[in-house]
Amino acid sequence: MKIQWKKIFNQKYTNALIVVMLFLLFSIATDAFFTFENMSDVLKSYAVLGILSCGMLPIIISGGIDVSIGAIISACACVMALFMKNVSSNLLLAFVVSALFGALLGAINGLLISLLKIQPLVVTLGTYSIINGCMIYLTNGSWITEIPDNLISFGRMRPLGIPIQTIFFLLVGLLTMFLLRHTLWGRGVYAIGGDEVSAERIGYKPGWIKFLLYVYFGFLAGIAAVVHTSIMSQVDPNAFKGYEMTIISAVVLGGVNIAGGFGSIFNVVVGVLFLAITYNGLILMKVSSYWQNIIVGAIMLIAIAADTIKKKREEAEKTVVDVEYKEG
Amino acid sequence: MKTKTILSILTAAVLALSVTACSTEQGTGQASGETSKETESAGETAPADDSGSAQAAAKVLIMPKLVGIPWFNASDVGAMRAGEEIGIEVVYAGPTQPDAAEQVKMIEDYLNQGIDAICIAANDPTALKPVLNTARDMGILVMDWDTPADIEDVDYSVQSVDPTEYGEALWDYMVKAMGAEEGQYAILTGGLEAAALNMWIDAGREYAKEKYPNLELVTEPIATNEQQQEAYSRTLDLIKTYPDLKAIVAVSTPAPIGAAQAVQEKGLQDQIAVVGGVLPNDANQYLKDGSLDYGVVEANPELLGYATAKIAAMALNGEKIEDGALIEGVGNITVYENGKTIVLGPPLIIDANNVDEYDF
Repeated sequence: MKIQWKKIFNQKYTNALIVVMLFLLFSIATDAFFTFENMSDVLKSYAVLGILSCGMLPIIISGGIDVSIGAIISACACVMALFMKNVSSNLLLAFVVSALFGALLGAINGLLISLLKIQPLVVTLGTYSIINGCMIYLTNGSWITEIPDNLISFGRMRPLGIPIQTIFFLLVGLLTMFLLRHTLWGRGVYAIGGDEVSAERIGYKPGWIKFLLYVYFGFLAGIAAVVHTSIMSQVDPNAFKGYEMTIISAVVLGGVNIAGGFGSIFNVVVGVLFLAITYNGLILMKVSSYWQNIIVGAIMLIAIAADTIKKKREEAEKTVVDVEYKEG
Repeated sequence: MKTKTILSILTAAVLALSVTACSTEQGTGQASGETSKETESAGETAPADDSGSAQAAAKVLIMPKLVGIPWFNASDVGAMRAGEEIGIEVVYAGPTQPDAAEQVKMIEDYLNQGIDAICIAANDPTALKPVLNTARDMGILVMDWDTPADIEDVDYSVQSVDPTEYGEALWDYMVKAMGAEEGQYAILTGGLEAAALNMWIDAGREYAKEKYPNLELVTEPIATNEQQQEAYSRTLDLIKTYPDLKAIVAVSTPAPIGAAQAVQEKGLQDQIAVVGGVLPNDANQYLKDGSLDYGVVEANPELLGYATAKIAAMALNGEKIEDGALIEGVGNITVYENGKTIVLGPPLIIDANNVDEYDF
């Protein structure tokens, strides 16, 4: 028994353990939490966060960051909504237009980062401002309403009782997992996150890998824009202001190292579930909203502290090995 | 509209060229916005100048928190309408982001150009203090509107609605929508720390204690981070937690929409009343499908812009602004005991029948 606990802690599952504990707590303390209705509602509301976190994950693994994503998804949602209202209400075309537009905006980030070798934070801060400015100019900040009905009814679909948005999250998760594990590009993402110079020496092309990272994120933002609009049934150009921070917290809370090098889809699922169930569960437990923030903050600190302590221990072990080697 | 779609795709191409333009973009965007506004107002007031007497028309700067959002676009229209009617030159200009530092810079520019009055919707009262005091030292009339500056720094403060009156209206219309003076309700707010929203909520809760003692608030106000999707998820949570919930009152404009959406999705339009502060354009479909019952709007922004320009002109003429005075096209105003704060009137109530009359 003791050994198993240690194994669980050592295998980067600390945060998952906290999520499981919260899950059990909420299930025992309230009747409404562990019901099919509540679970599918929660997974529906957090599907967009999930899809975007799947795009942020490879970027963070590679040691980069993208803070322009809130503007990109808003831009995609606006373009998609205007396209559906004025050109064609075909749903498939809407997905294609939105995803291509997202990929295009992502490509701009990717080009600036890989060709000009500017820091990702600086580039995406700049593009955030530009894209946001253009969106506010085009929409005047007003919501786009009266989205065609077929998107709304698509958003209400529940194959096998599972909300369609959750299925998209699932598919995007599987796709990202496949790309990271089984493609040269995916392995390259880990390699440049670990050490870019060594990665280049063994034959990876960091510029190309980075370019595709941001294109992929843009592409997912395009998909997420349609998924989001299918729930909200209108487009608010300001809906994703500051959303990049929520995405980054989801990824990091799942246990991904913000400095890059490692992380997996499993971490994203843990992080998204963490954010999804805590607020839901605390409201269901009738906890006052003033306490909610304090409790969520405390749980986050515990999760991160546990993670950091674990890493410090690992590092300490490594140092010993180094010294012994030198002496030998 | 088709051109807008193409335009937005084209802008993406332009972005690719603007490699280092991130800082200049904002600057030029704002400057061009400003000049277009200026030429616009100059064009409108030119005839007034010609027909006017030897005395040059007074120049009034009306500065919103930011330009380019529907609310302040509507104020722009109102301010210009007032300018035309009374023959003063109204300049409506503001930053593209709600940024106090930008406002300070712009006011300094206008002070150098020469101006008779400044009406500001303050992004940050403290940051604006020095420049407003400089303006007053130069003998310029300084007012605030929409969002107050520090009351010490202004000659008049034009506010749309009294916070207490607004909070009471929210609760009154919630009860009206519930059709009963008893039952459980919950509050959604933009953020627990938002002072203006808290003022409304506190006023409403106090009022409810006296007037509707049988209403039961199920939990403390719930924060939605000023986002529709948060309001939507939190409402779904509330519906499950409190099966007897009869009403939701929501402050911060996206919150009532998110709440209405959740209520509609669960098919509870007839069980749960939703009221709150919204913008008519966004609320339209929800008011019509019955998921949102009443929108309680702080003011008609067009009227607010109009009244601000008119009051500025009155003050410049040396007219006294008194409690209960009738301003043509606005109505009877309330002036607080401090002699500075001017409140226009009751909030604007929108429902399924009148929502099409407003465009903001």
